[in-house]
This record gives sequence, structure tokens and C-alpha cells, in this order.
Amino acid sequence: MRDDVKANDSKAKEYKLKMEKEFLKKGIIISLLSGISYGLYSAFLTLGMSKGVWANLYEVSTLEIFKTTIILSILGAGINDLMSTIWAFIKCFKSGKLGDFILTMKSKPALAIIIAASIGGPVASVAYTIALKLSGSIVIPIAALNTAIGSLISVIVFKKKLSIRTWFGIIICIFSSFIIGFDAFDITNLKILFGIFIALIAACGWGIEGVIAGFETCLIDSDICILIRQLTSTILNIFMLFIILCIFNKDGIYIFKNLLFITITDINSIVFFVLSGFFTVYAFSFWYKGNSMCGISLGMACNGTYAFWGPLFCWVIVELIFKISGYSISYILWLAAILMAIGIFIIVVNPLNYFKKKEIK
Amino acid sequence: MKLTLNYAILKFLTQKEHVSVNDIINSLYFEYNNHKSFKKHLISEILMAAKENGLISEDGYELINDELIIYYSTDENQKKMINKYLG
Repeated sequence: MRDDVKANDSKAKEYKLKMEKEFLKKGIIISLLSGISYGLYSAFLTLGMSKGVWANLYEVSTLEIFKTTIILSILGAGINDLMSTIWAFIKCFKSGKLGDFILTMKSKPALAIIIAASIGGPVASVAYTIALKLSGSIVIPIAALNTAIGSLISVIVFKKKLSIRTWFGIIICIFSSFIIGFDAFDITNLKILFGIFIALIAACGWGIEGVIAGFETCLIDSDICILIRQLTSTILNIFMLFIILCIFNKDGIYIFKNLLFITITDINSIVFFVLSGFFTVYAFSFWYKGNSMCGISLGMACNGTYAFWGPLFCWVIVELIFKISGYSISYILWLAAILMAIGIFIIVVNPLNYFKKKEIK
Repeated sequence: MKLTLNYAILKFLTQKEHVSVNDIINSLYFEYNNHKSFKKHLISEILMAAKENGLISEDGYELINDELIIYYSTDENQKKMINKYLG
């Protein structure tokens, strides 16, 4: 081979490695940003559901506490989804993707996103909101187990064997949930443990969603995916709220209209839902995009760091800035949250190997 | 029926072999030129994500005028999978 051809080949190889590294780096940053956005969405949603008219909703309810919690949790998730749908719509409009959104809605992959959204939206999000309300920010690391569950599902689907490293990570995760569960049980009551159980439902829902959505995002633009997701979730949540209210109360229709009106028009709380909705868009669109850019395992691992970001932002925003107590976290729980994030990361990927593999190619 | 930009790119890859981002831009220019995402670096990202998820495969690369050109193709299974989704 001529020397100039050889030099050209090695330069091409160098450019390609650089391009792949940059793509992977961008994917990792996007996935990490999704984790941070998740944390901020959790904090602002918690704040919104404690402010303004929400502070009284728990007191004026004539229903028993658990029923009230379910209803208000669905309402909170529904309003958050509604706000994020508006943000997602604005995002698509600004980037000129509304035409593609309509075309996508007529195609098969849209159905997969709608199914993923139904599992991850109404089921997981409502479970997550109920759990947050019942047990506080401690459920955030539990719900973050979705990364481990998602990884396991993809292992089952793609029939891959689990490595010792993966088992090691799973054991770390189980151990940290044990610390969290044990500590929560020790200091309070069964209500918190029940919240943790509900949070596990959210973890399963999001695990399944992550696997479906990661693949779908290479077919559909992530902004469009999120608009479909949030729209589906909003409609289903509000419909579910309507049905549950009608079951619990004979004046369900009247209460439904009233609840929606007073919560959406309450300036003191809706401002926080606007913020939580904004971060929801980024939490999910970056999650989907990150999963499609660096693979489900690594994408979900980086997103899983919200086990750390969630309690952190809840503590800083809800407790420190807005002086609502109940969101501080003991040292042992901090340790468990960080340990779980480490476990999640170990389960899904060994970043060093990942980089090495890319370079060998 | 008109396809979304992502679908059009994948569909194009099921019809032609050894496709680069420049081939896609030239072929889809008239139909998607007004699309805000119709930019070289964004299309490259769509291709890289599709490759990462096994929908398409890399089919060599070269340096032309100091620009890296990566080629992509689809095998029978990938064609089947794409057509099944976009059907």
C-alpha cells in the first residue's frame, strides 16, 4: 500500500474513533442530565403538591386518608403531565417537528410508545407520586431500581447471561434497599413500608418502559416520543381520576370538575407544576435519547443516578428553600442512596470496558 | 404517504447499499429540505443511534477531502425489521 494511502487510512481511523467517543460522551451527558432533571421534577412535584390549595385538600376531604392520597396523587401526576405535554408541544413546535408528530401518530411505532407510556405513565408515575406522598423522598432510590429491572428485562429478552459484576451490582442494590427499608421501618411505621412497596411498582413500570422506549427512539425523534408519551399519560391519568372519583363518590363528576378547576387555577401551586412539567419533559426525552445513543444499559445506568439527585433536590428545594420539613435525609439513608446509585451503575455497565471495546474496534 | 425524516432515512437504507450521510442529504433534499432537523450532524446522529440499536450496520469508512465519510447498509433481517415497523 502506498504511504499516503496508509496515512489517510490511519487518519480516517483516528477521526472515526474521535467521532464515536464524542457520540458516546454526548449520550452519557444526556443520560446524566436526564437523572438530574428527574431529581428536579421530583422536587418541584412534591413542592407543588404541598403548596397553595393543595395544603388544604388533604384536610377538607371527607374520604379516608388512603383514598384521598390516591385521588390527589393521580390529580398531581395528571396536572404535572398536562404541564409537561404543553412544554413538549412547545418544544416540538419550536423545532418544527409537529408535522412529523402527526405523521408518527399514524404509524406502528407510535403504538409502542403509547403502550410504554401507559405502563410508565399512569401506572408507574401514579405509583411513584403515591409513594412520594406516603413515604417521602426515601422512595426515590427504590423507584430508581427501574434501571436494574430494565437491565434484567433486556437480559431476558436478549437472552444474555449475567456476569459476576452484574450480580455484584444487584446485591449492592438489594443491600441498599434493605438499609433504606430497615431504617424507614425503624423510625416510623408501616405506611412508609407500604409506600416503598408502591415505589417498586413504579420501578417495574419504568424498567419496562425504558426497554421499549430506548429502541423506539431510534425510529422516532425523542421530542416526538415525549409528546406522545405525555399526551397519553395526561389523558389516561385524568380519565383514571374521573373513574376513581365516580367510584368513591356519587357526586364524582361534580368533584372532578371542581378539583381540576381549583388546582389548575391556583397560582401558588401551579407555578411549581409548570416547573415540574418542564423538568419532566427533559427527564424523559433525555432518558429516551440517552438510551438510544449509548444503549439501554449505559443509558439507564446514567439515568439511575437520580437515586442521588432526587433526595438531594427534595432536601435542598423543599426543605431548605421552602422550609417544608420531612425531606431531610439521615446519614445512613444518604449512604444507601449513593450506594444504590453505585450498584445500579455496576449492574448495567463497566464504563472502563465500554471505552476499551470502542477503542479496539 | 409522506414519511417522517427518521422513517425516510431508514427506508432509504433498506433500498440502497453503502449509504453515506451525503447520499441521504442528496436523495432526500427536495422532500425534506425545509425540515429543521435536516442537517448533516443531526442525520449523522440518527444513523449512529440506529447503528447502536442494531437497525443498520456500518459498511466501511474513508476520508475524503479531510472529511470522514461513514457508510451504512442493512442486511436482510434489518430490512425486514425496518419494513415491519414502518410497514
